[in-house]
Amino acid sequence: MLTTRRRAVATAAVALAGSLLLASCGGSDSGSSDGKTLKLWHYEGPDSAMGVAWNEAIKEFEAKHPGVKVKFEEKGFEQIQKTAPMVLNSNDAPDIMEYNKGNATAGLLSKQGLLTDLTAEATKRGWDKKLSAGVRTTSQYDTNGVMGSGKWYGVPNYAEYTMVFYNKDLFKKYGIAEPTTLDDLTAAMDTFVSKGITPLANAGAEYMAQQYLYQLALSKADRSWVDKYELYKGKTDFHDAAWTYAATTFADWVKKGYISKKSTSLKAEDAGVSFIQGKSPILFSGSWWYGRFQTENKFAWDTFLWPGSNLTLGSGGNLWVVPKGAKNKDLAYDFIDITMSKKIQNLLGNKGGVPVGADTAAITDPKAKTLIADFNTLSGKDGLAFYPDWPVAGFYDVLVSETQKLITGSEKPDAYLSALQTAYDKGAPKT
Amino acid sequence: MTVTVERGGRVVRGHHRHHGRTTRPRRPHTSYALFLLPGVLAFLAVIVVPFLMNTGVSFTDWQGVGAPKWSGLANYRELMHDSEFWASFRHSLFMVVAMAAVPTVLGLVLAAALFDFVGKHFGTKIAAVLRACFYLPQVLPIAVAGIVWSWILAPDNGSLNELLKAVGLGSLQQDWLGDPDVALYSVMGVMVWVQIGFPLVVFMAGLQRVDPQLYEAAELDGAGWWRRFWHITLPQIRPEIYVVLLWCTIAALKVFGAVYVLTKGGPGGATDVPSYFSFTTFFEKTQVGYGAAISTVLTVIILVLALIGLKLQTRAEDAEEGLRA
Repeated sequence: MLTTRRRAVATAAVALAGSLLLASCGGSDSGSSDGKTLKLWHYEGPDSAMGVAWNEAIKEFEAKHPGVKVKFEEKGFEQIQKTAPMVLNSNDAPDIMEYNKGNATAGLLSKQGLLTDLTAEATKRGWDKKLSAGVRTTSQYDTNGVMGSGKWYGVPNYAEYTMVFYNKDLFKKYGIAEPTTLDDLTAAMDTFVSKGITPLANAGAEYMAQQYLYQLALSKADRSWVDKYELYKGKTDFHDAAWTYAATTFADWVKKGYISKKSTSLKAEDAGVSFIQGKSPILFSGSWWYGRFQTENKFAWDTFLWPGSNLTLGSGGNLWVVPKGAKNKDLAYDFIDITMSKKIQNLLGNKGGVPVGADTAAITDPKAKTLIADFNTLSGKDGLAFYPDWPVAGFYDVLVSETQKLITGSEKPDAYLSALQTAYDKGAPKT
Repeated sequence: MTVTVERGGRVVRGHHRHHGRTTRPRRPHTSYALFLLPGVLAFLAVIVVPFLMNTGVSFTDWQGVGAPKWSGLANYRELMHDSEFWASFRHSLFMVVAMAAVPTVLGLVLAAALFDFVGKHFGTKIAAVLRACFYLPQVLPIAVAGIVWSWILAPDNGSLNELLKAVGLGSLQQDWLGDPDVALYSVMGVMVWVQIGFPLVVFMAGLQRVDPQLYEAAELDGAGWWRRFWHITLPQIRPEIYVVLLWCTIAALKVFGAVYVLTKGGPGGATDVPSYFSFTTFFEKTQVGYGAAISTVLTVIILVLALIGLKLQTRAEDAEEGLRA
C-alpha cells in the first residue's frame, strides 16, 4: 500500500506525464472569436512589392474597422508550407493566411475540407470579375482538389510570369540586337559562346533548369496540351513532340555551351547573382526577380517574353485563403477586398509587383509599366501555363534530380522523358 | 555497493554485478526509481509515444491531412523494392566512413600528436588552442558551415578551384558538388572536417587519465612513439574509441543538415541519404505513410547498431575487468 508521501509523488508523476503527453500531442489556445481581432499570416518580405502593399492594406483595414486590431504574424514560406495541415486542423488557425497555389497545396487542403468556400464572397464582391482566366485558375478547386474549376478556395491579388532578362550593355558590346525570334536568340547565344561567355544563367539544383525546359516545351504546345498536363484533361505523353523537342534542345544547348555543365549544383540565387554581376548576359526566370534587378543591376537591362511562344510559365500569385476554423471570417473577406482595391493594387504595381486589378494610368514607374504591359499581353492571349512541378506532389524534386542528369549528360533525353513519365503517372490522378 | 577506483583515477562502479559479492539494498533502489521517473516520463512522451505513432502511420496510406487509410505492410513492401531508398542507404555507408571511421582514425593520431608532441614541446596551452581549432566546426551550425563550403566548392570562382589554379594544379579542378561522380566524396570531405573535432576532444580527455608511468616505463625500455601509441595509448583509451565510433556511426546514419544545405541529395540523387529521402517523401511528396515507414526502418537500424555497439563495448570491458580480477 502506498504511503502518503509516495502517493503524492505518484500523483505528481501522473500529472507530469499527462502534461507531457498533452504537450507532445500539440497544445493549443482557443484563438480569438471576438470580432475585434483579425489574425493574419503571410510570408512576403517587408520590402517586397507584396509586403509593402499588404502592410498598407493592414493600415487601411484598421482605419476602416475602428476597434479591430490586425494581429499579423510574419511566417516563412517553408514554415507555412510544411505545417499548414496541422495548424489548420487545430484551434490556432489564423483568420486569413497566404498559401501556395496548386493541386498539391491549396488543392489538397480544400479537398480535406480545411479551407472555407469563398464562392459566394467572390461573386458578391466582384473578385471573379477582376481576375483574368489564367489567374483565376488557381483560385478554384474541384472536389478532388484539382485546380481550374469548382469552388473558390483562394484569392490571388497579384500575378507572376517568366520572361527573358538580358544585359543590354553586354549585348551592345558584342553588337547584338534585342532578339525578337528564337533564331535571333540562338544567334545571340552563339556570339556569346564564341567570345567565351556562357550566355544563359542557370541553376540545376533549383527550379531554374526545369523552367527552361518547360518553356521550350511550351513553345511547341497549346492550351489543350497545358490542360492535359496540369489539369489532367487527357493523357500526358512525355515522348510527344513538345517534350521531346524540349529535352533534346536543352541537352543540345548544354553541349553547345549555352548552358554551363557546371550549373548542376547551383541554386537560383547563384544564377541571379551571376546576372546581377554581369557575368551571364541572359537569364530566363520570373517576375519575382524584377524588383531586385531594378535595385541591384549596375548596367542597362531589359526584358522580353520568350520569342516564338504563345505560352509561358506563370500564374496568379499566392492565395489568400480563409481556414475552415477561422473565427472572424467576415473580417477576413473585408481584408481580401481591401487588397483588391485600386489603391493597394496601384501601390503593388509601382513597387515592382504584377497587380491583377491596377489602374494603368496610376502606374508611374516606366519599368513597372513595361512589366505590367507584358503581363497584360500574356494574360490577354491566355498565355499563363503554370509551372512544370505542379501536377504531382513531389514532382519538383523529380524534375530537379532528372534535369541535373540531363545537364551532366549522365542521362539521355529519351531516358529523361521516360523517368518523368513514370513519376508523373505514379502521382497524377487516374483520368 | 562496491565502488572501486582504477585506471588513473576513473571511477568504475558496480563490481557487485560481476562478482555477486554484495546484495542490492532495497530501500535506496525504490527511492532512486522515483528520481528516474520524470526522465522516464519525458522519454515516453518525447521519444516512445511519437515513435509508436510514427510506426502506426507507417502502416497507412496518408497525405498528412484527412483520415489515414490502413494499408498494412504495403509501404514496407514498396520500400524493399525502392531502388532510391537502397541507393540512399548505400550513401549512408559512405557517410559512416566519412563521419565515423576516418574521423576516429585521424582523431586518434591527431590527439596523440597534440598530447605527446605539441603538449610536451610547445606547452599545453598551444595544444588546447589547436584542439579548440579542430573542434570549431562542431560548434558552427551546420547550415552556416554548409553554405560556406558550398562557396568553397563552387565550380566557378570557388576557393578550392581558384587555389588549385593558383598553384598550377588547374587540371584537378572539378565541379565538386555538381558532378555525380565526385559529389558524394565532396560531401564526405566536408563531413570529415565537421566531425574531426569530436573524437579529438574525447581522445585527448581520455589520454589525460592514462598513467604517465606507463609511457615512462615504455620509454625506458626503448619503445618508440609508434609502439607506445600502439601498445599503450590504443588499449588504454579503448572505451573512448567505442563511444566515439558508436556515436559517430549513429550521427552518420541520420545525417541530414549537410546534405540538405550542400546538395539537396543531388545531382540526380548522387548524395541522397535516408533521412533526406524520408523528409522529401513526407513533406514534398506528401506520402506521409511511406515517409514514416522509411524513418521507422532507419530508427530500427540505428537502434540495432547502437545495441550491438553497446553490447560489444560491455563485453570488451567485462573481459578486460575479468583479466584484471
